[in-house]
Amino acid sequence: MAGAARSPRLSSCGCLTPFGNARETHAALVRGESALRHVAVLGIGGGDRVPLALLPGRELDDTNPPAWLDALRSLALSIPGEGWGSPRRPVFITGSNFGVGGLYALRRYGDPSFAAWGAPPSCAEQVRKMLGFGPDVSILSLACVSAHLGLLQATRVVASGAAERALVLSFDFLSPFVAGGFHALKILNGDFPAPFRERASGSIGLGDGAAFAVISPDEGDWVVEGQSLFNEMHHFTSNRPDGSGFARCMESVREAALGLRVWVKGHGTGTLEAGRLEVAAVVRAFPDSPITGWKGGLGHTLGSCGLVELAVALESMRCGTAPGVQEASGEPMAPAVAAKAFPTGQFDGVVLASNAFGGAHAAFLIRHA
Amino acid sequence: MLERFIDVLESDDPRAEPAAATRDRLKARFAPGATRRMTTLGMLLGASLARMGPSEADAIVYASGYGESRALEDFLDTFPNPSPTLFQTSIHPSAVQQAMIGGQRPAGEFMALSGGNLLAFHALRACLLSGARRVLLCGGEETGTWLLEHGLASPRTFAFATALTQERGPSALGSVQLEPFDTDGSMALPELFDLLHARAPHAGPIAPGWRLSLSWFPTP
Repeated sequence: MAGAARSPRLSSCGCLTPFGNARETHAALVRGESALRHVAVLGIGGGDRVPLALLPGRELDDTNPPAWLDALRSLALSIPGEGWGSPRRPVFITGSNFGVGGLYALRRYGDPSFAAWGAPPSCAEQVRKMLGFGPDVSILSLACVSAHLGLLQATRVVASGAAERALVLSFDFLSPFVAGGFHALKILNGDFPAPFRERASGSIGLGDGAAFAVISPDEGDWVVEGQSLFNEMHHFTSNRPDGSGFARCMESVREAALGLRVWVKGHGTGTLEAGRLEVAAVVRAFPDSPITGWKGGLGHTLGSCGLVELAVALESMRCGTAPGVQEASGEPMAPAVAAKAFPTGQFDGVVLASNAFGGAHAAFLIRHA
Repeated sequence: MLERFIDVLESDDPRAEPAAATRDRLKARFAPGATRRMTTLGMLLGASLARMGPSEADAIVYASGYGESRALEDFLDTFPNPSPTLFQTSIHPSAVQQAMIGGQRPAGEFMALSGGNLLAFHALRACLLSGARRVLLCGGEETGTWLLEHGLASPRTFAFATALTQERGPSALGSVQLEPFDTDGSMALPELFDLLHARAPHAGPIAPGWRLSLSWFPTP
């Protein structure tokens, strides 16, 4: 059975970041603000201070119940419709950090009550019950392209007629587990990230983030097309040096965007080599398109970044202005990199791309219906 | 109705076999030195997946409730000096990535799922909705130690891989069908594994609103 006979639509989309909802997040990014602050990498366990963007009032260490639950509940209040999790309205929960904050707390502090949140099935089940969803809740987790997988599955169940609507809900909240891991890889260090800019050394920041998208067969102003996945399987933490993985992922998106004027929201974490490869691939695929990326302001929201940044991109199209990359020292990696906010009124759509461990690449096009 | 045909199937049920014995049994199926950093789940999954002869045109759907339980345990025990290697190995779909990176085999579409008592349905639905001519459904679990005590790891170790095709080929072993059905049901991953491992037929509800028909063709 083919995946997408019709192109489903995005009927609703929203996000939550340390700046607030999609509108507040977009406005802050346009103003050039960053939510990143220096925080001890192991929370109350101390360690180097690294750039993290935490929800207001939230500490890095998990509590029981998690302090992020209220934020997720407030985001869910803005999800339209009902009956989510029923056979005709399935839910796809995505993320790359399900419960690892609880797992860290369980091991470090020995409190068994954290176990209720400590694995993807149990964490998603707690969230499902809290939000009143029915049982049909899938869990997808492929590191930092997780949200793209959920979006692809949601569009497929709707396009095939297997569902009348589908909801994608993605969340990633930071913890010493994930901050410590990226710090061990040495890409999360004391420097603030400057995606798509040339500097002496690369660095990333991490951020709390959650988002949702409702997929419908025929409601909404935006069509989802050209959904693309490609996995280099070259190395766990680096890409093929010829950039072929980035290029392969862009192929079907470029075909979907033929004849359209698009701008590109890249992945852009702040690492140098991946940034250069991504910019080169985007310039080849979309030579007339500006490239932007927002992890300099939001931090990397990990498995949820694809959906969080989609919400910001839609707000950019609605408002007529897209945020540029974060102001920082260092020249942009190409003239196409948007160092400042730019108008979106002349564009038909936006290409959104994300990357992950294992050389995983994902991208799709959003265009006016 | 959604349908695909089972073209190739490989499954491994170590039961009470110690992890060290499992690793020793499978070591020869990987390049020399390749298994040093592989997890037991990575080796089990990789050995099954290799029998499928994965190509870039295949879609891969991976299902595991708990993923890399032992790597997670070991990573957590490295704090306050976390291991970068164990961090990357602990991510949910690492077993497939260990196998595919070891063989330098790129993959197009790769779906990684977790879940509980509907995981079999969600994985099969992902396979049957894929546009790829051939979908490699694979999955497995590995037992944990202290995670298991908290109900956060699988009590058993197993792995499987099966190639599902759109067309019935001459070597087809069976078929998988999903169709809407007005009854509740569920099927966790170990239940699907047991059916596949035993080549056992099944017809009944697999999720609320859905029915699974798993049929096996007569051996020529």
